[in-house]
Amino acid sequence: MFDPKIIIDLLAENVRRTGNPFGLSTGSINGWWKGADLPRQGANLLFTGMMYQMVPAINAATGLLGKYEDTPAGDRIRFGRRVPRFLSAAVLKMATAKEDRSAAAGVLMDITRILQASGVDFAYRPELDGYSGILLYDLGDRENFIAHARRVAGRLQEAGVERLITVDPHTTWALRELYPRYTGYRPEVRTYFELARLQGNGDREVTLHDPCFYGRYLELSQVPRTLLAGLGVRCADVNSAGPFTSCCGGPAESVSPALALTVGRRRLAELQATGRPLVTMCPICHANLRRAGADVMDLSALLVRFTRSGENSQKRAE
Amino acid sequence: MTVVSPEFAEELKEYGDDTALQCFNCGTCVAICPLVDDSFPRRLIRYVQIGARERILASGRDLWKCLHCGLCSRTCPRQADPGEIILGLKRYVLAAWREE
Repeated sequence: MFDPKIIIDLLAENVRRTGNPFGLSTGSINGWWKGADLPRQGANLLFTGMMYQMVPAINAATGLLGKYEDTPAGDRIRFGRRVPRFLSAAVLKMATAKEDRSAAAGVLMDITRILQASGVDFAYRPELDGYSGILLYDLGDRENFIAHARRVAGRLQEAGVERLITVDPHTTWALRELYPRYTGYRPEVRTYFELARLQGNGDREVTLHDPCFYGRYLELSQVPRTLLAGLGVRCADVNSAGPFTSCCGGPAESVSPALALTVGRRRLAELQATGRPLVTMCPICHANLRRAGADVMDLSALLVRFTRSGENSQKRAE
Repeated sequence: MTVVSPEFAEELKEYGDDTALQCFNCGTCVAICPLVDDSFPRRLIRYVQIGARERILASGRDLWKCLHCGLCSRTCPRQADPGEIILGLKRYVLAAWREE
């Protein structure tokens, strides 16, 4: 385990400087929308929260941290009270995998297809998109979380945004619960799958892993299940689901990749017991279960598969 | 020597919810916690109850093993909200580290 203070101070400084915990320029991580010809005006603003876009950097950082954890070099980082050079933005940028970047962009493109197929009136404006700051909150750095959240909320308020569509549980929770409490900004926040209206004739069964924030904090587990049922997709019973879902372990990755992996492997064993294909709906869960050895698909990919194959026979406009 | 300070829970209010005194140490949170540590988070909540400030600071790093998954809070029979207590302790310890 690394010294939490060193990690938190590094992440907070990066968020303050660049708006994301890795110190990467927004342009370098948020290019998925280019060429997608997405509308800039609409009743709802798609707010990705940058979590999917950061997965390549998360994977790179976790891989690098994992090599040093509980090693003599790691001890020097732990006790040296200095920021490890291998966590610099330049190194992380070089270490991100091209396939990770493509996968993240693919999820977000799939989500826009789902919204379009569902007849949702939405816009995407990259200059208004941003990281929610949720990691700082979870790590106990409330002061820096609030400072960042006020910047993000201020930008959205200034643009007159009142309705947001989110794509991951952490950003959804931050915007629904924390932003009203700490910034006074109270937009209507809905996840893309709450707005999706898809029907089809698929006949299959999958294993859906509920992330803690959708399953427990926001109690949204039934929404994707209902949506999948409309597509003919059944969700296998999992030991620990819904409000009592088990954590994927991912949240520990910044201070202890080993712990994240231990918890992830334990959860993966529960999920694999069903023998069905594994589906996630959170970028952190997806990345950590993959590191634990899972072959895993994002919910958006499963949904869009039906849309593409023509099985989405009855669409209902919003 | 550990100094017992019952008013410590009051001091912690600045950092989070004041629910630690609801806990009657049943251990449900320990049993359900995915960390599978034999005393987490109950031990730290007990430290809050008795105001063992120095012990909390001494074992401060353990707090960041918490995944903030919320399962302990969901299952707590006393609604003591152990997950939020741990989050409040993270804030308290981080503030203490930053003051050093």
